[in-house]
Amino acid sequence: MKNKNSKGLLTALPFLMPSIGGFLLISLIPILFSLALSLTSYSGLKGLDIFSAEFWQQNFVGFENYQKIFSGSEFWDSLLHIGYFIILYIPLMLASSLGIATLLNKPRKGSVFFRVLFYIPVLTSWVAGAIIWRWVLDPQYGVLNDLLAKVGIQGPGWLQDGNWAMVGIVLASVWKDMGFYGLIFLGGLKNINPEYYEAAQMDGAGKTQKFFKITMPLLSPIIYFALVLSLINAFMIFAQVMIMTGGGPYGSTEVIVERIYNYAFHYHKMGYASALSWILFAIVFVLTFIQQKAQKKWVNYDA
Amino acid sequence: MMLKKSNNIFGAVRFYVFALIIGLLIAVPFYWMAITSLKTESAVLTYPIEWIPTEVTLENYASLFSSFSFGRIVLNSCIVSVAYTFVALVSCCMAAFAFAKLPFRGRDTILKIFIATLMIPAQSTLVPLFMIFNGMGLTNSYFSVILPSLFRVTGIFMLVQNMKTIPNDYIDAARIDGASYFKILFRIIVPLLGPAVATVGIITFMDSWNEYLWPLVMLTDTDMMTLPVALSTLSGMYERNFGVQMAGSLISIIPIVIVYLAAQRRFKDGLSLGGIKG
Amino acid sequence: MKKRLLIVFMVLAMVASMFAGCQAAPAGQDTPDAPSADEQVSAAPEEPTESEESEEPVTISFVNYSAIEGNAETIDRMKETFEAQNPNITVEIETLGYDDYYTQLQTRIAGSNAPDCFELEFGPFVSFADEGVLYDISSMMSGIDTNVVSQSSLDAFKYNGANVALPYSYSTCILVYNKDLFDEAGIAYPDDTWTWEDINTAGEAIKALGDDHYGIIQPVSTYELFKVVAQNGGSLLNEDNTQFTVNSPENVETLTYLCDRILNTNIAPTAQQMGSLDEWGVFMQGNTGMIVTGIWCFTRFAEECDFAWDICVEPGNKAKATHYFANGLAVSGSTQKAEAAYKWIEFLSTGHDMAMARVEAGWELPCASYDDVLALYLETTPPDNKQAVFDSLEYVVSQPKITEFSQMGDILNTELQAATAGQKTPQQALDDAQAELETVIDLTD
Repeated sequence: MKNKNSKGLLTALPFLMPSIGGFLLISLIPILFSLALSLTSYSGLKGLDIFSAEFWQQNFVGFENYQKIFSGSEFWDSLLHIGYFIILYIPLMLASSLGIATLLNKPRKGSVFFRVLFYIPVLTSWVAGAIIWRWVLDPQYGVLNDLLAKVGIQGPGWLQDGNWAMVGIVLASVWKDMGFYGLIFLGGLKNINPEYYEAAQMDGAGKTQKFFKITMPLLSPIIYFALVLSLINAFMIFAQVMIMTGGGPYGSTEVIVERIYNYAFHYHKMGYASALSWILFAIVFVLTFIQQKAQKKWVNYDA
Repeated sequence: MMLKKSNNIFGAVRFYVFALIIGLLIAVPFYWMAITSLKTESAVLTYPIEWIPTEVTLENYASLFSSFSFGRIVLNSCIVSVAYTFVALVSCCMAAFAFAKLPFRGRDTILKIFIATLMIPAQSTLVPLFMIFNGMGLTNSYFSVILPSLFRVTGIFMLVQNMKTIPNDYIDAARIDGASYFKILFRIIVPLLGPAVATVGIITFMDSWNEYLWPLVMLTDTDMMTLPVALSTLSGMYERNFGVQMAGSLISIIPIVIVYLAAQRRFKDGLSLGGIKG
Repeated sequence: MKKRLLIVFMVLAMVASMFAGCQAAPAGQDTPDAPSADEQVSAAPEEPTESEESEEPVTISFVNYSAIEGNAETIDRMKETFEAQNPNITVEIETLGYDDYYTQLQTRIAGSNAPDCFELEFGPFVSFADEGVLYDISSMMSGIDTNVVSQSSLDAFKYNGANVALPYSYSTCILVYNKDLFDEAGIAYPDDTWTWEDINTAGEAIKALGDDHYGIIQPVSTYELFKVVAQNGGSLLNEDNTQFTVNSPENVETLTYLCDRILNTNIAPTAQQMGSLDEWGVFMQGNTGMIVTGIWCFTRFAEECDFAWDICVEPGNKAKATHYFANGLAVSGSTQKAEAAYKWIEFLSTGHDMAMARVEAGWELPCASYDDVLALYLETTPPDNKQAVFDSLEYVVSQPKITEFSQMGDILNTELQAATAGQKTPQQALDDAQAELETVIDLTD
């Protein structure tokens, strides 16, 4: 057995070389740098001489950055904001992508066209998407409030209203991502053996029953994948926040990566920013770990 | 029989209604993008928003082409994205194969470490990465933006899931015939995974085409810039021209849509995560 | 076989493209200039003296953002002129977009790849100077003609007694008013005798013209606030910048004045009423009587406003106070080519052509003053009362010279937004800001 494993590594190594090489260069080394920087008060401005003793003498502050982060209110507020985003985004995203997937499952005339259409927001850059949505969400003349007015609802101030700004960001994010997850779910749906449905049909199962007893369980591995990925991405939202609200109004959409960016490049506190990234990493890691453990309870890998 | 037929019509109507609603949801913002690109600057800022432009102009597009050597920029983006996608696909297929089919000690741990790297924001590794690449003399070279393609976790992850579903019999049979693992990967496995590979290819192409932060700091020479970076140079301190920005974004989408259309024939049945038919 | 060939071909093409794109590393290994104490590079239009020593050819890199606002051709022309006058120096100009300018610049400095010289605004200038990444150019400045670039503008870019940047361009803020609306309301135009009270009165008269009308627009942000508090005898920091004085009674008065206009009388629009338009967007619609904004608006207003407008010095309360925003040019602290880089930035700073181009583009004013350039500026109307721009310079208040200005600004902005949205009273907002600033920012180091 020992033989097999070490032989395994030898065989596997050439296949892993490019990725591992990339990993070391692009990920591991910069991450270690960033970890080191998190223990300093490095501003991010002066030339980074990370291997010189002088640098460490001048800049080392131990865990002070971490202390400041946890004792201040800004970090916890941004965590709250991300939580708000996630609570709204994940269900909406799941519902809409599953909806799209179910819609496109049966081949009909025009479904190819729609499949391309749904995917176009995914292909757009956030720069364009955020600008577009800023106008869509305009409180007075944007499309959304226009439509709401037509059914008699007075739309809120969206991006200019502290309570609704994050909702606006959620809407834009769902618009952008639903094609992506939709297509993933579509693939999953196509892989479900139609015999299950036929059998259920013969047993007299209704549509809802079929959905919850067959579709959902068999789709669960894919839902799990989508959940893991979308949760990680949700914690790291950046572009849409920067362009749509810049963290406002009055700080109500400040999120962690936006804070990291500002600390690193505007406030000249790169050490602090690095500490923030590591805390973010820890949080996301723990959450993903929890998800992994939890998957045994609801994810169904047979069939 | 009658029941089935009316069911069909019902189903069809329902499909078209829902598809239309969602389709509109998607299309309206793009419609806004398109008309903004065709409006004059003052028309863009008119309130209430002009949904049917009173004046159509191509000045934004003209501006785009005259602001920088557009052809060169698009060429840069093409070269970078194509090379990036190619390298990424090769690297991801190889790594996925190792993770999925070649047992070795530490396999799961390494995969988990790879996935963990997704949780570090790019902003915090920007400066160290720049230092490394600059130290290697790679600033303003295509190499600097293509090299990161060696390590694409999303691609590896997706391909691993797919490869796991391929029965080992294929591999064993080929081994008996004396094929090297390399051959097995590229002659047997990859063709079998056509849709999945095409999917990863599309996503990778799109990611590298739209990538902003890294090319921003690496390719600052006007001859080397990629499209998203070049578009950002249009915003000065005071001049903010939405029309030109939208024109640029529209043009930016076209190549990706073309690539998507071409590749999506390969995965007619959606992004397959866990299975191949037959 | 075919497939393999294809793969090999693609790999070769890819590798070839990489090398095609590889740029030779910038000539960073050239020998540095020999110091030349008696060299003179005086400002145009005089005939420049020839460079006295024969030097090794040197290439300097220059990074800026101003060239985007219609100055690209001019800067290229200036480069040619400069290179003709200094045949051993080649200038490589990179013009970056403004939005991510500092991200790029700072990454390069941190990554030990700083450009030899670069442009930067006043705020970042303070941080950069504090970090010591700017070259001390004091000893090289002997040749500058202070008739062209005034001593006070040179002094503005001093840090700890040393000159570390040259002034490039500057701007100030004024009050712009919609003449047509004033005529309609039958009230007198604003002038230099006006105070806050006059603004409010006029504002209400114009607001009465219609529901969608506004009297005045003035952003309530840190950038505005540090000036407006000075109009009321207050300040955001104490004299030697060692303490925050954000919630002083005078400042609370000031913020109350700014918020009342929005929340009580609504002669200024709320954020929601503005929607996705910015301040200029609302003013250019033609329903707003006055706006406090920078002189860089003239070009756009001249093009887009279909009503008559003019300007005057911004009214104060106990005193007048106006902005001074400046862009500077600095030499990198880590450069090996300081002499050559300095020559270039001095050339740009004092150059006639660049000055002329700035005035023609109409965004901000050059720090280099030439009679014909100034004459052109004054002649270009609208607005008629261009003189107000120069009058404003008598009352300038420059932004707090602290390195943490950016963070301070963001913290304060959050509270100001809460105040203007009615979520907090001005007293509360400023108290909270004061507390937060004291906790987060250490001014004493």
